[in-house]
Amino acid sequence: MKDISQSINKVDNDEKISGKAKYVADIKMEGMLHALTLRATISKGEIIEIIYPEMPKGYFVVDYKDIPGKNIVKIIYDDMPIFTTGKITYLYEPIALLVGPDKYVVNELLKRVKVTYKEEKPIFDWVDSVIHYEFKKGEGFNPKKNDLIIEKTYETSYQEQLYIETQGMIGYMEEAEKITLVGSIQCPYYVKNALIQALDVEDKLVRVIQATVGGAFGGKEEFPSLIACQLAVAVKKIKKPIRLIYEREEDILSTTKRHPSKTTLKALVRNDKIISLAVKVGLDGGANIGLSGVVLSRALIASSGAYTIDNLDVRGDVFRTNTVPNGAFRGFGAPQMMFAIEMFIDHVAIEIGKDSFMFRMKHLAKQGDYTSTMGLYRDPILLNDMINKAMEVSDYKNKRKLYEQKDSYKGIGMSVFFHGCGFTGSGEKNHIKARVKLKKQGDVVEVLIAAVDMGQGVKTSFRKLVAHILDIEIERVIFNNPDTDYVPDSGPTVASRTMMIVGGIVARCAKEMKERFSEENFIVEKVYEQPSYIEFDEATFTGDAYPAYSWGVNIVEVEVDPFTYQVKLNKTWSVYDVGKAIDERMVFSQADGGLAQGLAYGYLEVMNHKDGKIMQKNMTDYIIPTAMDMPPMETYLFDNPYAYGPYGAKGVGELSLVGGAPAVAKAIEQAIKRQVYKIPVTPEYIMELVNYGKD
Amino acid sequence: MAKINFKLNEEFVEIDTDLNRRLLDVLRDDFSLTGVKEGCGEGECGACAILLNHQIVNSCSTPLANVIGKEVMTIEGFSKTKRYTAIKEAFAEAGGVQCGFCTPGMIIATESLLNKNPHPTDFEIKIGLSGNLCRCTGYNLIVEAVKLAIKRGEGLW
Amino acid sequence: MVKAYLPKTLEECLKMLNDFDLKVVAGGTDVLIQNRAPSQLPIGYKKDVCYILQIDELRKIYEDDQYLYIGSAVSLEEIMDSMIVPEILRKTILEMASPAIRHTATLAGNIANASPAGDSLVTLYLLDAEVEIRSMHHLRRMKVSDFITGVRRIELAKDELISKIIIPKFEFDQAYFKKVGPRLSDAISKVAFAGAYKLEGKKIMDFRVSFGAVNVTVVRELEIEKKIVSNTVKDIKKMQETIVSWYEKVINPIDDQRSNKAYRKVVALNLLREFIENLNL
Repeated sequence: MKDISQSINKVDNDEKISGKAKYVADIKMEGMLHALTLRATISKGEIIEIIYPEMPKGYFVVDYKDIPGKNIVKIIYDDMPIFTTGKITYLYEPIALLVGPDKYVVNELLKRVKVTYKEEKPIFDWVDSVIHYEFKKGEGFNPKKNDLIIEKTYETSYQEQLYIETQGMIGYMEEAEKITLVGSIQCPYYVKNALIQALDVEDKLVRVIQATVGGAFGGKEEFPSLIACQLAVAVKKIKKPIRLIYEREEDILSTTKRHPSKTTLKALVRNDKIISLAVKVGLDGGANIGLSGVVLSRALIASSGAYTIDNLDVRGDVFRTNTVPNGAFRGFGAPQMMFAIEMFIDHVAIEIGKDSFMFRMKHLAKQGDYTSTMGLYRDPILLNDMINKAMEVSDYKNKRKLYEQKDSYKGIGMSVFFHGCGFTGSGEKNHIKARVKLKKQGDVVEVLIAAVDMGQGVKTSFRKLVAHILDIEIERVIFNNPDTDYVPDSGPTVASRTMMIVGGIVARCAKEMKERFSEENFIVEKVYEQPSYIEFDEATFTGDAYPAYSWGVNIVEVEVDPFTYQVKLNKTWSVYDVGKAIDERMVFSQADGGLAQGLAYGYLEVMNHKDGKIMQKNMTDYIIPTAMDMPPMETYLFDNPYAYGPYGAKGVGELSLVGGAPAVAKAIEQAIKRQVYKIPVTPEYIMELVNYGKD
Repeated sequence: MAKINFKLNEEFVEIDTDLNRRLLDVLRDDFSLTGVKEGCGEGECGACAILLNHQIVNSCSTPLANVIGKEVMTIEGFSKTKRYTAIKEAFAEAGGVQCGFCTPGMIIATESLLNKNPHPTDFEIKIGLSGNLCRCTGYNLIVEAVKLAIKRGEGLW
Repeated sequence: MVKAYLPKTLEECLKMLNDFDLKVVAGGTDVLIQNRAPSQLPIGYKKDVCYILQIDELRKIYEDDQYLYIGSAVSLEEIMDSMIVPEILRKTILEMASPAIRHTATLAGNIANASPAGDSLVTLYLLDAEVEIRSMHHLRRMKVSDFITGVRRIELAKDELISKIIIPKFEFDQAYFKKVGPRLSDAISKVAFAGAYKLEGKKIMDFRVSFGAVNVTVVRELEIEKKIVSNTVKDIKKMQETIVSWYEKVINPIDDQRSNKAYRKVVALNLLREFIENLNL
């Protein structure tokens, strides 16, 4: 039988290439109304009065008064209202929906709404800590008399997901009282559960269907629940189909982004080794906390990077500010931390006069080591071999030496990193409790899970997985876009869990189905079984935070223009251990895309706010790479099968993003002979460093 | 409002509408050609790209008035050609499609490029694709797809 | 509803401009975005519109002994492909926007838009380009550098139309354009630079430099150029820092969402230095 990693063509290529695939905005329904959002024009304050123009027949205002259930969008930390009741906490906060049949009229009505505010002084400084976590490993941070302490601070900025398809949904009433939403979403059940709470109805009166998704990257993980609740409330009131598609500027200005961060790392160095690390992390949560606590958790757990440090004192805060709420974005706290720890470990080496590479290798995590939370790295860690491979194919050592020359303006940098696969701690066991169905009907087998194909290829990989186990042609396996009327809750499409966790359950179903394959029609249903060794105490951050870890090495070569300080990426080499590729080409695809995002996070994508307003509000001003900016990328995979993943698969989706920024930052450091402390490393920052920075 | 004629996907069409509408909206709403996507509405992302007299343009930045008497081809029309088949197979084989939202635009860009320059260098391919943004692939596999299309489609351009 | 006029000839167009208050639209790639309405709604023009791409008389590129003439409805891509257009202008256009935009955008549109960061303007100022302006009653010519008076401000009356761009023919020994944008394509410049010179023996007989995105309009200082011309290459290189200090006074960039004034100033002057260092190399 063929090796499962062997690539096949993706099953949805034809419909996507031909333009036939239907994304939300492509769906037409009879009698569909258009909705536009009325938004606050101040960062903080109270609405004193709203004067709506007279609404012609068939045109409506939908606001908080129309919400039957709770006026809260269900997202872990419950502080995001569906519509504000008057309090404004960030610029462009949604106040109401205006709905009607002619979009031109709706827009004219929207322009004529008069809102009077009582403005208050917004808070942009990171002073209001809403979530604070801390934990220690070993002896914490306890310096002795002759110990050397080295402290540095690293900063990262916003990153906008910039999926090419903006947020959008259509809501309608199918049968009396039952509301259906079709959306560009990652998590049908997150949306469904949010709707149940907002409408205060039974489970069976809400249906959520995923439309083809034009990119998500975490931006469509929790945010769509807000749009869904607003739309559902409107549909319930007006009882007609309603379409709400965000404009691009609206999307950039008002939806969740990657949390800006500030991390201070303090190393206690004794005998040329980091004995202890104190970490202090600050994240800007924006006006609503949402799932920022989980981002903070993941960040804190990742704070010592791919290294084993015996003693840790880790603390972090999510700060509330009057800016657009921040949320999930591929990597989820890890990219911020990998940048900090990867730069730090080199900066410490430089300060104590040691070779950076050897210093790093000395601390590299090994199988059997304790993790940052006193869990165990039970499985083999192939980092040494992976690093050697990366260095060999890139000629790293020679280039590193060559580019040391003053005025070379060239640099090569390496980052080493990991990503915890799946939900942190006992999230799978205690909160998600994933459930999966595999249905045989005659000749055909259908995969019934809530996992969303947002481009990463879930439809293909799952059909392939099942076909492979059952030893049938892939054409006989069906996977339709999840519809909560038909699929059980297998959990959200996040946290690099889909193949490892959900695929694991599906594989078990397929194995049982194989035994019974002679039966005509039947369903196999299974739930997630957590390996017994995973125990994690969320309160004290103790135990195995993740069931498995994926590992990566990125090497990036750059050239910096001495006159304009612009960075040119020459080439990249990456090595990843994702357990086992269910489809090699799809993993390479993901790897390229993730690295492009990680690199751009490190040197290109600039987003900041001024007085609470995002300054780069459209695709002209928020710069992501074009085909001309990305270098050739070489990627290698190391097999390292994980016992509980299907065919040994671990998490893939996020790993390739988390190492790009430090790799490119280090390469730039070598090119300009200065130390870098924040990203993105823009030409403006490079100019500052060249003139005033530290060597 | 005015009645105008142009060629759309190889057929002559007549439409009576406001000439100040964006071509993108006329194609999607009046002709139900939803293969043409809106990604940014400002001419940056290329998801709305179509061929106007065989050249790529962004339909979100094209007023309907500017297509009178001209030939418009969307992905739907192009997908009936042999060149499309070569490009489609290449994209599938190279792994150049993920979420698919930028894909029709990339196909149009590929055709516009090869129609003018059947044997582009790697650099020229990147220039040809430079107005089409992709957030999923990092572009390399798309460039590979174009190269494969040129190889497989020998004689078509 | 906003009216759309589609004159078939130049004469018809000029009459419409005379009779009505109209916004002229060529390719529309800037204008449509500036007058943006929500998706699916007609473009939010603030007045009635006159489209000109279909006027044949405006679509010609031709030359005579002294000048190159580019019609105002000629697309950037057509200009870039034309062998009678000076190389520096063709190369400038290649760095602008994207193929899709170049297929419908026009040079005239770029000029009329008068953005401080307009790339083609930097080269047009360098080449002493002119615009030919017509109305029903008259025809006039003026230098682009006089035509553009400020940020998005041009010397064009309501009934007037840019009909041609006229570029004096000149042989340079070297002419180049450098764009500094946030990425390698499809971007608005943070700084742009164009430089050209002509040698006679060891002396520089023509020296031109222009900068984009560092002031309200393109910076080109004929007074400074006069001081440089007639010197030897060697002497000019010795004068480098003096020349830089002269230009430093007229380069006045701003902070905005794309970059900051410190960077723009330093880079503009670095590009000038690089140009001077490379004279006659």
